[in-house]
Amino acid sequence: MPQTKLGLDFILKNPLHLQYYKIVFMKKGSKLGEFEEIVILTVGILGDNAYGVTIKDEIEDRVRREVSVGALQTTLRRLEKKGFLSAKQGDGSASRGGRPKLYFSITPYGKKAIQESRDVRNSLWDALPPGLLNEIA
Amino acid sequence: MKLPKTMNAPPKWPFRLLKLFCRKEYHLDIEGDLLELYERRVQRLGPKKAKQKLWKDVIFLFRPSMIRSILPDLNTSPMLKHHLQMAFRHISRDKTSFLINLIGLSVGLTAVLLILLWVQDEWQYDKFHTKDDRLYSVYQNYDRPTGAHTTVRTPTPLATALAEELPEVEQAVAVNDFFQWRNSLGLLSKDGESVEAKALMASHDFFEVFSFDVLTGNSAMTMQRKDLIAISDQLAKKLFGSTEEALGKSLEWDHSGFKGLFQVSAIFSAPPQSSSLQFDVLFSIEHLLDNDRWAGNWTNNYVRTYFVLSPDTDIESFNPKIDQLLSSKEEKYRSSLVFAEPFSDQYLYGRFENGKVAGGRIAYVRLFLLLAAMILIIACINFMNLSTAKASIKMKEIGVKKTLGASRSSLATQFLTESILMAFMGITLALQLAYLLLPFFNRIADKDISIPINPSFFTGTIVLGLATGLIAGSYPALYLSGFRPITILRGKLPSLFGELWIRKGLVIFQFSLSLLLVTALLVVNDQIQFIKEKQLGYDRDNVISFQFKGEVYDNWSGLQDGKSNETFYRFMEQLRKTPGIQTASTISFGNLLDKIAGQSGVSWKGQTEEEKGISFKSPVVGYDFIETMGIQLKEGRTFSPEFKDHYHRIMLNESAVELIGLDDPVGKTLRMNGGDCEIIGVVENFQHGSLYDMIEPFIFRFDINGGNVLAKIQSGTLAETLPRLEELHEEFLPGRAFEYTFLDEDYLALYKSESQVAILSRYFAGLAIIVSCLGLFGLAVFTAERRRKEISVRKVLGASIYSIMHLLSFSFTKVVLGAVLIATPLAYWVSSNWLNNFSEGISLSPYYLLVPSVSVLLLSWLTVSYQTYRAAKVNPSRALQEQ
Repeated sequence: MPQTKLGLDFILKNPLHLQYYKIVFMKKGSKLGEFEEIVILTVGILGDNAYGVTIKDEIEDRVRREVSVGALQTTLRRLEKKGFLSAKQGDGSASRGGRPKLYFSITPYGKKAIQESRDVRNSLWDALPPGLLNEIA
Repeated sequence: MKLPKTMNAPPKWPFRLLKLFCRKEYHLDIEGDLLELYERRVQRLGPKKAKQKLWKDVIFLFRPSMIRSILPDLNTSPMLKHHLQMAFRHISRDKTSFLINLIGLSVGLTAVLLILLWVQDEWQYDKFHTKDDRLYSVYQNYDRPTGAHTTVRTPTPLATALAEELPEVEQAVAVNDFFQWRNSLGLLSKDGESVEAKALMASHDFFEVFSFDVLTGNSAMTMQRKDLIAISDQLAKKLFGSTEEALGKSLEWDHSGFKGLFQVSAIFSAPPQSSSLQFDVLFSIEHLLDNDRWAGNWTNNYVRTYFVLSPDTDIESFNPKIDQLLSSKEEKYRSSLVFAEPFSDQYLYGRFENGKVAGGRIAYVRLFLLLAAMILIIACINFMNLSTAKASIKMKEIGVKKTLGASRSSLATQFLTESILMAFMGITLALQLAYLLLPFFNRIADKDISIPINPSFFTGTIVLGLATGLIAGSYPALYLSGFRPITILRGKLPSLFGELWIRKGLVIFQFSLSLLLVTALLVVNDQIQFIKEKQLGYDRDNVISFQFKGEVYDNWSGLQDGKSNETFYRFMEQLRKTPGIQTASTISFGNLLDKIAGQSGVSWKGQTEEEKGISFKSPVVGYDFIETMGIQLKEGRTFSPEFKDHYHRIMLNESAVELIGLDDPVGKTLRMNGGDCEIIGVVENFQHGSLYDMIEPFIFRFDINGGNVLAKIQSGTLAETLPRLEELHEEFLPGRAFEYTFLDEDYLALYKSESQVAILSRYFAGLAIIVSCLGLFGLAVFTAERRRKEISVRKVLGASIYSIMHLLSFSFTKVVLGAVLIATPLAYWVSSNWLNNFSEGISLSPYYLLVPSVSVLLLSWLTVSYQTYRAAKVNPSRALQEQ
């Protein structure tokens, strides 16, 4: 569908073309939430061994907060759907009742996203008045 | 599931739950993660903690992004879009059948909506009290030779005794509505400004037991002190302009029962229309005790008793305790049975027969629910018929779709989508129609219903729409989707025999229902006409009755304390002299229609033990009563001033004479109320009350001090006489409204619900017939289409238009005749059952069964005539060319 068609007129004439609402009204998905960023970074840290349990452990160790399986899985799938992570099925093991592990890795798009996020933060840090942090301390 | 068999095998249920809701593609590895975590936790934290954490994890996994869709994993939204598009295309291609469908559905749904609103309203009656589920009223059963008789009145002290002596009773209240003497309307005045107000007297827990909102003031104190009253906000606004103004002000109360100056100490919001207790002003029950010396005794039934039972008490096992309590207080009640029924049941289940609840208005609620279901079914059948009638057009579409791989279920979904869409269009239209019709409907049904704007009504409407769509769409969906594509595409229509019979069956069913409704309608209307004209044994024409609103004392209250009724006597004297008044009389309360006083404890020579408990109907009447009412005197004489009649002279009706077994009754005596009473005359039996009542034994007692006046007006002089009466009334009771009723109208008012039902059923039967005719029209369209080729061949072979029309009409006639065969016995059975409720009624002649049948038949011919004519006129060469 050429972009020119996506005006208000078109939607009014074709109210059932729901998918256009998505394109027109949805935000771009590149801004990362805090937890999303933590998850992507953790996946990066773990390298080849990033799957549900290890990611959960790693976050709990490093960030010192409890992560529920539900929250983690939801975030992982969302990040995968948005293209920040890619998933690959591995082998099962005895302790998992033969269930396969789903290994995650960062995609180039994901790398770009965390880099952007870092840049934004760095520029903000740089702009901070030099004496401020000392005052707080 | 194959899990590792270790000592601590993981619990199964969390995993089963997970499997149930989790998306298939996520399920396996999440399960693996959970297992791994569980194993580790068992080692670190022990099995119990691990299990808890596992449950927690599974429950937290229940999130929108994790839950799998309940729909089959197809590309549903484009399919839905496609279905809707197809539906709109079908609509625009065949606007006639779309309109027929829409009219049929929306008319049917309007009727259903109105009925449901009415039922809902009936259902909510008296249910607004917060303690409704624990609120009971007390009843008493007396044995009578004709079976147990139920009364709602109880002794005044019962309420207090219930609350104090039975721990299961939380609160109890005694309520009196002045019925014992006179009507409950009195005059409340402030600085010469007066308003008539309906009063109740109640004991102190009234506002605890019932949930009437107290807006300001101290309601508990009001009910305890005799000098205080509570008034409704409406009354406060009328008298003072606002509720705040009224509090603490004094009002003068003027009523024949008692009068005085009272202080307003509480204001409540006026009872809603759905309350059976209606009152503007509330007094303490103490006034009743002060003004009637018998009212405080255990021996007399003066008040209604209501109580709140503690939670979790079973009323069945509690009832004997009330009975015991009353028997222990007073010997007299040993023979009677006291019991409680839920307070809010008294409206819908208010009829008692032989001491048991025997229905009441609930019968109408059920009747109308049944009617709603019937109308809905008729409307749905229409839809089925019409949407399958045009099947041959859809055939090709179905064939092509199936060939291209559409599954049966997706075709079924398509038809269901179409029917649900139709149903929602229908219900949207129906809502608007119902909204327009409501004022009219309210007037007929004597209700104040509005379309409620709340989530439950909204959901209800959506559910109704969905249900209609599903019912209406089920048959086309199942039937049309089942065709074999190869047969359809070859141009052959699938075997017709079974299908045609289903279609005819549907129409037969529809017409049977309509016939049933029409017959019921005729019978109900004629029975009501019969009731209106029925000779009751007394003459109710040109009799007006009214309450003398001034003071009238009788032997029980006042008269023996030296008070006198001089004013009242003068009024009656003047009344009798008024030109245009034939005769006038008085009765202590009520008339011959309801609230007839009772008399028990009558004894006579040769009385058997069982006969001692007989309660007679026993109105207390003044001079000329028999003449005023036009009751036929059989022997003896009537009460008359010449004989200086007094309380110990009585008259009987034939039924009482027969019951007592007197051969020559005049001059004999009966013993009652502590004295011998001489029988001075006997009247012929008459029908008191409504035709639902049996003729009962009557003992007329005599007392000229009755406050209810009955006057017979010479026929034809009503217009002149009424102003004279008004003048007279104004002379004696300045400022009081002259409120009178005509006895014949009062009599008809006894059948108010029957008349309402008759009028309502007239409209609903009309609707049902309209919808059925639409259905028949649909069938005609269908047949005409199916038989096009047959008709063409016949025409080619020389058949005339008329012979073909005859042929087609005959097939519809058969259908309607089938309906007649089914509906007639059913209608007969239903009507005769209903007529059995009355002690007298019309007899079911063949007329009631023939007229509906013939008229429906004629109507059906009229409906199909246009279609058959069109079918018969078909150009044979065109039709035959098609193949």
